[in-house]
Amino acid sequence: MELVLQNLIPIPLRDKLSQRNSDIWNTQKTLKQGEWIKVKAPSGTGKTTLVHILYRLRNDYTGHVLWNGKEEQRFSAAELAVLRQSAVSVVFQDLRLFSQLTARENIELNRVLPASGTHYESTVIDAMAERLGVTHILQQRAGLCSYGEQQRIAIIRALVQPFQWLLMDEPFSHLDEENTRKAAALIAEECEKRGAGFILTDLDEDRHLPYTTFYNL
Amino acid sequence: MLNNLLKKLIKASAGRTRFIMAVTGLSVALLLILSAVQLQVNYNHLLHGKSNKDSIANFLVLNKAVTAETIGATALSAADIQQLKQQPFIDAVGLLTPSGFKVSAQGGSAQLPFYTDLFFESVPDEFIDVVDKDWNWSEEAQYVPVIIPNMFLDLYNFGFATSQGLPQLTQDLVKSLPLKISITTPMGNVPYYARVIGFSDRISSVLVPQNFMTWANKRFASEVRTQPSRVVIKTSDPGNPQLVEYLKKHGLTTDADKTRFSKYRQIVNTVVNISGITGGLMLLFALLIFTLFIQLTIASCKEEITLLIALGAAPAQLYRFLMRRFFPSNVVVIVVVLAVIAAAQFALAEFLQQQSMYVMHLISPFTILAGVIILAVLWLVNSSTIKKYIRQS
Repeated sequence: MELVLQNLIPIPLRDKLSQRNSDIWNTQKTLKQGEWIKVKAPSGTGKTTLVHILYRLRNDYTGHVLWNGKEEQRFSAAELAVLRQSAVSVVFQDLRLFSQLTARENIELNRVLPASGTHYESTVIDAMAERLGVTHILQQRAGLCSYGEQQRIAIIRALVQPFQWLLMDEPFSHLDEENTRKAAALIAEECEKRGAGFILTDLDEDRHLPYTTFYNL
Repeated sequence: MLNNLLKKLIKASAGRTRFIMAVTGLSVALLLILSAVQLQVNYNHLLHGKSNKDSIANFLVLNKAVTAETIGATALSAADIQQLKQQPFIDAVGLLTPSGFKVSAQGGSAQLPFYTDLFFESVPDEFIDVVDKDWNWSEEAQYVPVIIPNMFLDLYNFGFATSQGLPQLTQDLVKSLPLKISITTPMGNVPYYARVIGFSDRISSVLVPQNFMTWANKRFASEVRTQPSRVVIKTSDPGNPQLVEYLKKHGLTTDADKTRFSKYRQIVNTVVNISGITGGLMLLFALLIFTLFIQLTIASCKEEITLLIALGAAPAQLYRFLMRRFFPSNVVVIVVVLAVIAAAQFALAEFLQQQSMYVMHLISPFTILAGVIILAVLWLVNSSTIKKYIRQS
């Protein structure tokens, strides 16, 4: 699935962006499936805005986002649901877990959501939790988990569904080096299995994953 | 699996207390509205139901009021009668045919020594309250059956007899005594026998069978009077304020006792109309509360709905799930409220029956219809609120 960005400018950042250059904003970019893209962006340059625009959580921008040639704004609510269920997965910066559900239920929910059928068996959750060291909190309410734990749950949640693109907004911000390494390895593995690409945004340079493309926002 | 997770999610966020409050509010408001409908039906039934009617009060004798202006001109014209027939509150009009000849009567036996001048009137049989097998006449008949007002006998027994030292008479005794009547004709007097066969509470006149009157008028009348001056009307509701208003406007009078109820009726009508308006306003108010309660319950799940949509939950699927989650409780509430009203109605009917007032034992179809309509409104409110929150996400 090809992702095309055309002259994208978030309206709140319009004045700021007119004074400087960016690899993404107000340019033409074609992102091919399977590309592992790192977007480096200092605070306040629209990192989260970019992820939300690509995931169509916000519409306050000019320019175009095309998923496989189809204008993102043209997706109906039902088509958008299908896109999110089976083609585009996401790890939010603010994690966005259901605090009343247990960690496991949060992951399960996303696993069983696709109308086309589940991508993985439920046992895969245990395997992934084991690798990221969160097995002990699976039955705990997500609201009671630490940020580090919640972040790993959010990553596992994003990985149990089918996808061709994975959007990640500072996915390791609450993790120490060791846990970051483990999480990055799992992400790389899952993307490889699917032949999927990802867009990862972060504040600094890093070598957590073997990126194929680098952009500055 | 997905539904179980959604159920847990929505249940946890909607909050038990809030849900119970919403259901309670809904139940109370519904109970008030549907009871109001049921009470209105009961009121109508009490007022217009067949079993609650007094059979005497349904017939009224009308005539023009005798005043200085109308003396000698109290006959009702054909147009007057036609107009009466056209009034919606009058079911039937019966003409009182006056006799065109003079009649005198005297006691036919020693027990009843009296002589009096008399008149006859006749009216179609369906307007007479005294049903008797003897109420018929043919040219071969030995006597003419007569119906006199009950009041006559009372006047005699309690006024005349006591003051004149005469014996009091029972109805049966009067019925058994033959009367000699004498009809004055241009060719001289013609004697007949007559017999009282009944006493009427309805028509204050001396009644003879219609066929006798037709026959006798043709034969003995010195002049043919075609214009009746009195009519009997049949009405479903003598207390109807419209009827009283009509009579007043056309200078007609009747037994005031029977129409006096109309004043109370007017007051009750006004009260019921006011309570109807209040009920209507209450309905609007209650619907507003329903809407708020439903929106409140669904709004408490707003964040969850937003996140579910963000994760890729299909809107149609989520809509179906939320409707299944919130709507059945409304159906349950309506069914329970209808059941409570049905039970109350049964108890009320039993209670009123002891007071000789009759209402239906079963819940009215109008109440059920109102319940169904409100259910439809609730469905719309639920549906549009859920759709709104899903769309906003």
